[in-house]
Amino acid sequence: MVQFTLPAGSSPVKGNDHKNETGASNLRKFHVYRYDPDVGGNPQIDTFELDLDTCGPMVLDAMIKIKDEIDATLTFRRSCREGVCGSCSFNIDGVNTLACTKPIAEIKGDVKIYPLPHMPVIKDLVCDLNQPYAQYAAVEPWIKADTPPPNRERLQSPEERAKLDGLWECILCFCCQTSCPSYWWNGDRFYGSAVLLQADRWVQDSRDEAKGERLSELNDSYKLFRCHTIMNCTAACPKSLNPGQSVAHLKAEIAKRE
Amino acid sequence: MDMRSHLGRARGPGSTDNGVEHWISERFSAIALAPLSLWFIYSALGFAGADYATFQAWQSQPGNVILMILFLLAMFQHGQLGLTVVFEDYIQPVWLKNISVAIVKYTALLFCVACIFSVLRVAFTA
Repeated sequence: MVQFTLPAGSSPVKGNDHKNETGASNLRKFHVYRYDPDVGGNPQIDTFELDLDTCGPMVLDAMIKIKDEIDATLTFRRSCREGVCGSCSFNIDGVNTLACTKPIAEIKGDVKIYPLPHMPVIKDLVCDLNQPYAQYAAVEPWIKADTPPPNRERLQSPEERAKLDGLWECILCFCCQTSCPSYWWNGDRFYGSAVLLQADRWVQDSRDEAKGERLSELNDSYKLFRCHTIMNCTAACPKSLNPGQSVAHLKAEIAKRE
Repeated sequence: MDMRSHLGRARGPGSTDNGVEHWISERFSAIALAPLSLWFIYSALGFAGADYATFQAWQSQPGNVILMILFLLAMFQHGQLGLTVVFEDYIQPVWLKNISVAIVKYTALLFCVACIFSVLRVAFTA
């Protein structure tokens, strides 16, 4: 059966409380999920009190400040700090988003930072993304064409190119993918919204010659059709893309062949 | 212990080639149910306080028999499709999932045939 409750040893317990005793007035509490596989036991929620007057505006700035000045063992992925690499995706204030583009000022009260939901946690805020990466590889996200390549690039009309807008911008942060209850329950078989948006990106590409093959592979009651139009994906996307529309487009393309 | 690669697991046994039939059938039955449900509710409300003879006379008219049978077919089809998805979503063991889905489908068929038989019996024994 589907697990509606956390497995034994997974419920977070109260952790360390790092108070700010500098006398600063603009304080904000950050509750951060911590789990160390070397120590084992239940994960814990550590609380860090930060002076926002000496901290950058984004949640990632606060996390880097914690790591630099309070607890160097805090582990998380981050790289570009401008919403392009997709590394710093976490569940912040109850919503999956990128820490680098989420202003602290947008969050009322304490800031809660958890790993992406329903993914195996490797350490602290780093979760195992092998499954979605493998699903991404399974949709073969590259151009497939039997026509010999021309001497220059394969041509595309401006209208054909415009169809890829809203698709190519995906940075594979998996905020959408891991916000989907259908992916939580059947992530081993359902490809998930980010991967399906990428599949749609190649189905829509006029230069690709494997549309039929791609659609046949997706005509599966789990890989594609486990999407129940919940639309958490579109609500969560920090790049304001619409994975739900891509999934709907794939379903319609398959239905049109019938 | 599952020692397959992540890619091997993602690809699994390949496509079932049948996802879209369920999806289309769900939508067609939903579209059919929209007017048929309104017709059914409107008709049923009209029988408040009426006796059996009144209902039988109404149910014997060919148009009403046809619409009632269509309503039953669409309703049971849509219902069993929806319940199948719920079981597929929430039951992980394959054997239990398949048995549950089979029970849903055959139970829906049984009740649908029984209902249609009742409609015809009322219609032709007037």
